[in-house]
Amino acid sequence: MLVIRRRPGQSVLIGEEIEIEIIEAGPARVKLGITAPKQILVLRKEIRITRQQNLNAAQGVSQEAVRKLAEKLRPAAASAERQQTDSRQESGGA
Amino acid sequence: MPDLITTYFGSVSYQPECVVEFPLGLPGFDEERRFLLIEQALNKPVVFLQSLSRPELCFITLPVTLICGTYELRLSPEDLETLGLDRMPASAGGPEVVSLAIVTFTEGGPPTANLLSPIVINWRRRVGIQAVPADAPYSHQHPLFTGTREVPCS
Repeated sequence: MLVIRRRPGQSVLIGEEIEIEIIEAGPARVKLGITAPKQILVLRKEIRITRQQNLNAAQGVSQEAVRKLAEKLRPAAASAERQQTDSRQESGGA
Repeated sequence: MPDLITTYFGSVSYQPECVVEFPLGLPGFDEERRFLLIEQALNKPVVFLQSLSRPELCFITLPVTLICGTYELRLSPEDLETLGLDRMPASAGGPEVVSLAIVTFTEGGPPTANLLSPIVINWRRRVGIQAVPADAPYSHQHPLFTGTREVPCS
């Protein structure tokens, strides 16, 4: 990986048509300005991860696998529901 | 009541007012704008997110608060605007919003839940988004089970 140090106001060029400018650098995050041709897709990486995860999840699954998942989770779901009811009663009584 | 033919459930009758609009679609499914939430007594607490236009497209989801009791929603101002909310919902578990994590079944491993990018629905308006926060501490592949131990969610 190429590592370059830049300050706010400075830029990096990728190829002939893409420019990435550092607009602002804070302690926790930086603000980038990206200039690129329309046909170049610019995405936050989380979006691509989510897209891939959605595509994997949409592969389809057997009814059997879903039923097994539901059975495994039912005790947790029941206790979560009980807790909710309890806290409702507590706040109702106060 | 209209009927919908689905791969997973066969024919489903539904009330038009139960359709949830996703104005932006979901990443990877940008054209899918309308989904039905389906719950079955047999498969509780699983919630199915069935596409209205693609019979074979049905996501398996779980309430995020069931997977992670302390789950904190992170919504951008744009997310809130799309959902028609004027402020951050008090809790991921309602009453203002329904928050669901999409489950992926993997071969050889436990199913995983995408806690990074929850489906968030403003139930009153029947409008939903898939939120993709930039700085959430949650995994997009949170394992639902590893042996008998619970997995910390963040």
